[in-house]
Amino acid sequence: MQSNLVSFIQMLRSHDVRVSPAETLDAVEVAAALGYADRELLRDGLAMTLAKTAEEEVIFLQCFERFFKQDLADFAAPEPTDNEQVDTTPSDAETEASGDNFDGTPETALEQAAQDSPALRSLMQDALMQNLLNNERNELTLAMNQAAQQVDLQQIQMFTQKGQFTRRILDAMGEEQIRRAIIELEQAGNPTLPLLQRYRDMLREQVRDYVEREYLLHAEGKTQQFMDEILSKTRLNNIEHVYVGKVQNLIRKMAKKLASQYSRKRKQVKRGQLDMPKTLRKGIPNDGVMFDTYWRQVKKDKPQVLAVCDVSGSVAAYAKFLLLFLYSLQDVLPRVRSFAFSSHLGEVSEYFDDYPVEKAVELVNWKYGGATDYGNSLLDFANLALADISSNTTVIILGDARNNHGEPRLDILQSVYQRAQRVIWLNPESRKSWGTGDSEMLRYQSACHFSAECNNLIHLERIVEQLLKSTR
Amino acid sequence: MHTQDFPQLESVERIERGFEAHGYVCSRKIATAVFLAFQLRKPVLVEGPPGVGKTELAKTIAVLLDTPLIRLQCYEGLDEAKALYEWKYGKQLLYTQVLKEKLGDLLKGADGLAESVERLHQFGDIFYSEEFLEPRPLLKAMQQEKGAILLIDEVDKSDYEFESLLLEILSEYQVSIPEIGTVKATTSPMVFLTSNNTRDISDALKRRCLHLYIPFPSVELEERIIQTRVPDVQNKLRHQLVAFVHSLRQLDLKKAPAISETIDWARSLLLLHADELDEEIVRGTLNVLLKYEDDIEATDPTLRSLLVGEGTNQPGH
Repeated sequence: MQSNLVSFIQMLRSHDVRVSPAETLDAVEVAAALGYADRELLRDGLAMTLAKTAEEEVIFLQCFERFFKQDLADFAAPEPTDNEQVDTTPSDAETEASGDNFDGTPETALEQAAQDSPALRSLMQDALMQNLLNNERNELTLAMNQAAQQVDLQQIQMFTQKGQFTRRILDAMGEEQIRRAIIELEQAGNPTLPLLQRYRDMLREQVRDYVEREYLLHAEGKTQQFMDEILSKTRLNNIEHVYVGKVQNLIRKMAKKLASQYSRKRKQVKRGQLDMPKTLRKGIPNDGVMFDTYWRQVKKDKPQVLAVCDVSGSVAAYAKFLLLFLYSLQDVLPRVRSFAFSSHLGEVSEYFDDYPVEKAVELVNWKYGGATDYGNSLLDFANLALADISSNTTVIILGDARNNHGEPRLDILQSVYQRAQRVIWLNPESRKSWGTGDSEMLRYQSACHFSAECNNLIHLERIVEQLLKSTR
Repeated sequence: MHTQDFPQLESVERIERGFEAHGYVCSRKIATAVFLAFQLRKPVLVEGPPGVGKTELAKTIAVLLDTPLIRLQCYEGLDEAKALYEWKYGKQLLYTQVLKEKLGDLLKGADGLAESVERLHQFGDIFYSEEFLEPRPLLKAMQQEKGAILLIDEVDKSDYEFESLLLEILSEYQVSIPEIGTVKATTSPMVFLTSNNTRDISDALKRRCLHLYIPFPSVELEERIIQTRVPDVQNKLRHQLVAFVHSLRQLDLKKAPAISETIDWARSLLLLHADELDEEIVRGTLNVLLKYEDDIEATDPTLRSLLVGEGTNQPGH
C-alpha cells in the first residue's frame, strides 16, 4: 500500500500539487494512524497533509477519486448486446437462474464444446480462462497488474501509446490462447462461439479501461507539462490562436512565482545615525536607561517602471505578452506606466486601470496599431514622460527598431538614458538581424544599459526577474 | 500530550461526540484533523472565511481536554518580545542597584583588579537567567507541565519574519534563547493556527502543519449547529432561517453571512418572538446577517424571491 501511496503522490505532483518528501512521510504516518478501512476518513486525512491550499484540495479530491476509484476490475460481463444472446449472460448467478440455450452454466457448455476442439480443451485448463469463468476478480486484477508491470506500463507518455500497451498486456496475460480457440470454434461452426467471444471482449475491455486509467494517472500531467514547456519556448508571434489562452495562464503562473519570490518587503536600516528621540522614548519603561538603541531608517523612494511598447503589426504580439506580464506583477512591481506607439505615441496606463489586463491589451493594440515611426514616437515620449524620469526609473522599450528609414532621433533616447536608472531594450528579432536593412537597433543599443533578444516566454521571464531584482 | 492521558481523543468518532457535548457541532473532517494533530503531534493550520468557527475549534478542545488555552493574537509588527519572551528590565535594574551596594562586601580581601574580576566570574550570569525571563504566549505554552492548547490567531496578519520565528516552535516544540539555551517543551502543546487568507502563508510554515479548510457548512450541519446553540428556536423557523442564509450565500456579497451570524440571527429572531420568516421581519433584522450597507441594498429587492424560493426548495418542512 505504501508504494501505492507514493505513486498517488507522483500523480498529484504531475497535476501541479507540490508535495515535498517530508510531506510524503507525513502522509504515510497519516495513513498508518487512520488505517485504510474508511475511504473518506483516509481521503480527508491525506488531504490535510498533501494539499496546502483550497485550490490544491480540489485537485487532490479529483485525483483521489480517480486513483482509488475501484481497485478491482469487474469481470462480471456486461449485459450482452446481441438479442439472441440475452439468456447466456456469463455472470454465474444469473445464468444459473435463467434457462438458456446450453445445458447448465457456460462452463459446462464450453466444456462440452471442448470435447471436439483441442484448442478449447487446453484453454479450459488455463488459469486465465478459469478465472474468467468464475469471475475471480482478485486473481484477474492481480494478473493484470503483473502483466502491466511486465510491459512497463508506467512508462506510458502519450495517448497514442494506449492501443499498443493494451495489446502488450493482453499478450502478457495469455489472451492468445483464447484467440486461437475462437478461430477453431469459428471454423467448426460451434454454437458456443459467441459465448467465448464475449469473454474475450470482456477481458479486452477491462484491460483497455485499466490502461486508460493508468494513462490518466501517469501521463496526463506529463503531457500537460510537456505542452507548457513547448509553449514557453515558442516564439510568441507564432503561437496559434487556440493556445493564447494557455499562454496567458502560463504567464499568470510565472508572474505568480516571481511575485511570491519578490513580495517580501525588506526593511532597510542604516546604521550610523542614532534616532535619539525614539531611543529615549523606548528607554522610559527601563527607568530611563537606554537598553535598546534605535537607528534612523532611510526610506527608499518607490521606483517606477515605464514600459514603452511598439504595437505595430510586426511586434504587436510580443507587446501584448510583455504588458500582460508586467501588469500581472502589479502587486510586486512598483508603479508601472505604459506607453504604446507605432506612428505616434500615447500613454495607455489608464486602460489598465479601467479594464482587466487582457481587455486593455486588446484596446491598446487596436488604438495604436499602424506603421512605425520611432523618431516621432520618441519625441512624443519625451514630451509626455521625460520630466518624470529620474534616477529611480527603469524604462523598458519593446520594439524591433525597424524605423522604415526615418530619422531615429537617437538624441532623445540618449537624454532618457542619462536620466534613467536603467534603459532596457527588448527586441523580438534575433541578434543576428540587428542592424540589417532598416533596423536601427545597433545605434539605439548604444543608448541602453541593457538590450536583449526577447521572443519567447522564457526570455520574458528572465528579463522580468532581472527587472525585479534591480528595481527593489 | 499522550494518548493515554486523553481518552477523549482516542478516535475520530469519540472526538465528534465530545465536541458535540460541548456545543461544537463539527463535520467529520474537522474531527479527523484534530485526531491527526494529536496522533502525529503536528500543528493544524485552519483556514476558511471569517466566522466559521476556526477560533472556536481551539477553544472547544481546550474545554474538552480541560487544559489551559493560550492565545496569541497576531498583528502587523508582532515581534519576539511580545510573542516569545522578554527580559524583565525593571527587575534587572533593581538588582543592579542592590548588587552595587553588596559589591564591596563581595570583593573584600581581593587582591587587585584581576582577582576581583575572577571572583565576580564565579557568580555566573545571574541577570540572564530564567528568573529574569518574562514568558510571552509562545514560551508560556512550552512551559505548561500538562500540555496546553496554543492558538495562534490570524497568523496571516503577522509579518513574514514572524513566520520564520514560528518554524522552530512548530516543528520541534522548542525555543532558542541566546542567553540561556534551548527551552524544550515538557509536554508538547497542541497548536492551532488560523488564517483568513489575506496573504499567502509561506511554504515552510505550511509544510509543517496539517492543512484544514473549513468551508461554510452544509444545510444539515448548520441546522444541527443552530439546534445545539439556540435550542429554543422552533423546528419550522430553523429550517426556514438556515435555508434563507444558504440562499444568501449564493448571492455575490461583499461578505457572506457566516455561522456566527446565523447564530446571532437565530437569537434575534427568538427575541422578537418570530415563529416564521416573513418579508417584514427579515428586512428588519437583515443587518444582523449582513455587515455592509451595499450588501443589504443589493439583497433588498430580491428578498421576496429568496423567501419564496426557499419555500419551494423545502417542501418537506
